[in-house]
Amino acid sequence: MNVLLIEINPFAPASTPISLGYIASFLKSKGFTVKTLVLGQDTPMSRHGLYQLITSFQPALVGLSAYQRTMLYVIGIAGLIKSIDSNIKIAIGGPQATFMPTAAFAELPDIDYVCRSSGEVTFLRVARAIQNGTPFSDLAGVSYKNSHGAVYDTDELEGFTDLDSYPSPYLDGVFDYSCMKEAIMLTSRGCPHHCTYCYTPHAFKHKVSFHSIDRVIEEIKWIRKKGVRRLWFADPNISFKPSRSTELLDRILAEDLDLEMWLQTRADLVTSALMKKMKQAGVNTIAFGLESASERVLTRLGKHISTEKVAEAIRLAQSQDIEVELFTMFGLPYETFDDAVQTLEFVKKNKVKIMGNTNSQQMQIYFGTDMARHYEDHNIRPLNTNRPTYISIGSQYETDHMSYDEIQKVQELWRANSLDGGKRIVS
Amino acid sequence: MRLLGFNSTNSTNPINPMQPMQLMKPALQKIYVILGKQGDKQLERLSQMLSDLFSYVNLTSNLYFITNNLTEGMPQVERIQKAASVFLRDNLFARIYVHFIHSIPLETMKEIDFYYQYYYQGWKRVTREFDLEAYAHQEMPRLMLLPVIVPHNQVHPTALTGLLDTLRSAFLLPSLYLDRGTFFLTEDEVLSKTEKVYYGHGNSRETTEIVCDLCRQEILDDSCAMLGSGAVSMGMGTPCPAALIVSAQDGMVYPCMDALLKKESLANIYGELSVDAIMARYYEHGRSKRDCLGCRERVCESFADLPLPKATTHEVGALLCRFGTLYQETENHVQAIESYKKSLKLSPIEEAGHIYFRLGLCYTKIGRYDQALESFNRAEGTYHNQYYFYFYTGLCYFEMGDYRMALEKLSGAAYMKPQQDDLLKILIYMGTCYNSLGNYEKAIVELERAKEKAGHVKEIYNALGFSYFQLKDYNKAIENLRRAVEIDPYSAIDYASLGANYREKGDTEKAIAMYEKAIELDTNMNVARENLKRLRGKR
Repeated sequence: MNVLLIEINPFAPASTPISLGYIASFLKSKGFTVKTLVLGQDTPMSRHGLYQLITSFQPALVGLSAYQRTMLYVIGIAGLIKSIDSNIKIAIGGPQATFMPTAAFAELPDIDYVCRSSGEVTFLRVARAIQNGTPFSDLAGVSYKNSHGAVYDTDELEGFTDLDSYPSPYLDGVFDYSCMKEAIMLTSRGCPHHCTYCYTPHAFKHKVSFHSIDRVIEEIKWIRKKGVRRLWFADPNISFKPSRSTELLDRILAEDLDLEMWLQTRADLVTSALMKKMKQAGVNTIAFGLESASERVLTRLGKHISTEKVAEAIRLAQSQDIEVELFTMFGLPYETFDDAVQTLEFVKKNKVKIMGNTNSQQMQIYFGTDMARHYEDHNIRPLNTNRPTYISIGSQYETDHMSYDEIQKVQELWRANSLDGGKRIVS
Repeated sequence: MRLLGFNSTNSTNPINPMQPMQLMKPALQKIYVILGKQGDKQLERLSQMLSDLFSYVNLTSNLYFITNNLTEGMPQVERIQKAASVFLRDNLFARIYVHFIHSIPLETMKEIDFYYQYYYQGWKRVTREFDLEAYAHQEMPRLMLLPVIVPHNQVHPTALTGLLDTLRSAFLLPSLYLDRGTFFLTEDEVLSKTEKVYYGHGNSRETTEIVCDLCRQEILDDSCAMLGSGAVSMGMGTPCPAALIVSAQDGMVYPCMDALLKKESLANIYGELSVDAIMARYYEHGRSKRDCLGCRERVCESFADLPLPKATTHEVGALLCRFGTLYQETENHVQAIESYKKSLKLSPIEEAGHIYFRLGLCYTKIGRYDQALESFNRAEGTYHNQYYFYFYTGLCYFEMGDYRMALEKLSGAAYMKPQQDDLLKILIYMGTCYNSLGNYEKAIVELERAKEKAGHVKEIYNALGFSYFQLKDYNKAIENLRRAVEIDPYSAIDYASLGANYREKGDTEKAIAMYEKAIELDTNMNVARENLKRLRGKR
């Protein structure tokens, strides 16, 4: 049975679709024929091309990654696929799907499944059900709409806690290395913290699971052999287990892998020795989540980390000549205009270049976050109550402490201080 | 003597340009439409043709409509926009940016509000559904009109900034087309309100000329993007981003700017061919056999004397340097020199050393050693700690017969711990220099060092044979020359040298045999022939 996985993001250049890669690799290992298509800003693809792809590959199941920004495009592609062959089943997964209200099905006529649990195992269940000719039997981890339009939610499905149980998309030849400039690594998943604006802790139930260092090193060696030197670690906190991150860096050094690495972690998880080792191993940029320079706002966000700690982490990185990026947001609950300016001043004072990921952005209220569920408790007032049910509040809100106009002003302030026009890479 | 290839100068980064799903035909990134005074039927046909073409455009695509008459052009664009709206309603994954390139009469310019309300407000009304959709999905509208103003050459900058402000406040993000008559408008106040500046290369403002300038800009942007991504070495000869140019005036369709300039059209839209048939032609014939590399280079050169922002000027300089490297890699050193010279004028001072070094290599290749040395001297600040810089400088002196200076540079190179293979080459040249200066003992020292590092290089034994011959150590000379002909059994000169050594030893028979072998391999070797004649006469 053929399965097509599509990631669409017309607002950024195509990158390695690591999450789809894992699903593709897992399905391949179970006997499915899988194709992965990334439609980025720079991917040449027309309606005609999509039509040709669908009619020639004839997938029985198409999976689409769904993000808030790309919902319109996901719906459009689903519509095209159904217009070509209404028998093709379509599933959406990813951050927007996990906690999307079941009621959204009413506005998603061409979507058959909304995947809500761990991607690999959930998608396998769906694929097997379709393969068996009983597309709505023995499902778990999804909401689905049967052929009569009735909507059902199923039980959750646990993914593997040992990530090595998933085959590697890098080692399995899922990715095309010929045009890969940067490999995205995911050596761990999940986050144990309780930041109210973040989707990750809820999606992974505050648990963290890992790949073994042996597996990570095996992948990196293979990637290097294929000529890719730049690695981008998508782990939310790569130094969550200090001994593990030290071991990873030691192994990279011992294998003499000659890498350029980007990674992100919490400022309270780095030490001088670790930073030194990172530099030796080839880390050229490290990103920390500051969010706000106001301790009062941070406390309200559930982000229990002091600005002093962040400043110290910045100094540690800078002393090793590692470029620092700071993730910040504005329009946060309880944040005043002056608080937002204070965040900008903190970044400038600590000599972090305002470009790339350091360009600040307004907080986005996504499905699944504590902020989305209890926005009233956080004094947030949505501005558009007529939005589609598959779209969350996002950036259309103001707070008791900052009006919409003030939020726009903060945005302009950041843009004016930006070295590259203010376009952030990671949302 | 040929220039020895040094590993360190080979900076080509192998990049495979293949994209995933690359077997699919490339989607059209842009369609340029030159509007004219077409009648209703023709406009209907044009509109229908574009509707059909939307299936072939990229998921995010750009349409450019160029008119020299705003009053005539706007209704045509509105009509075509309706077709775009229909397509976008049916295909939620698509985005179309409509760029409308038009001049504004000075009188209209003075009445900015009138201009906006008369021409653009209607457009804003019909695209409102996409603005609402964008708001609901917290995104940019999928259909956007982006005016590109061609200002009058008498326009006052203040009036222009007023117009730009008005357009911006209505979310009609404006760009400018500036040519030699309006380059004076490239001032900060104007540019800060402009999304993009398109540079005109002439000043006729004919619609065809404007289209060519838009294409040039696109090719430059694409080339700069390649430069940034590192894909430039493989990509410069690839076609420009897929596009179509449609002349609504006569119905002709062209696959690229080069075809438009050469009047090589694919089809006539007012004829019988369907869009599918036109696109089949486009994919089969339209873009093959064109000189894309030459076109890209001409385009980059054409920006050399335009008042570009400094960063863009530097990018053009870097591109011209890249073209130089491409020529150099294909051994077209004369052309490479021209590209490097142009690049020098546009590149930042910190790049000059690198360009001068490459220039020096090219001059060396074509035997203009004095000019090569001049270029190398200018590169010294950048390369003073690179052994290969001293090698190439030494090589020039060697070729010019200045063996003392050659030795000074080559010794410097040898002292800087070069790679093993490169050290070997340096030692051979040093040995040859000493031989030329008559210092055979020192020549032997360097050449024996070379021999220790690699026993399979003929040049070492050839030069050692010469040194020992000069020192009258004929046995050693013969030993080395024997090794030389073992490595290269077709080396006539080494057989002749063997002949000379046997002759000096008094072994006439062996000398004759060696000279005969030399002549057998090279019938034009007169020295061997004369020696042979003399030796046979002695018998």
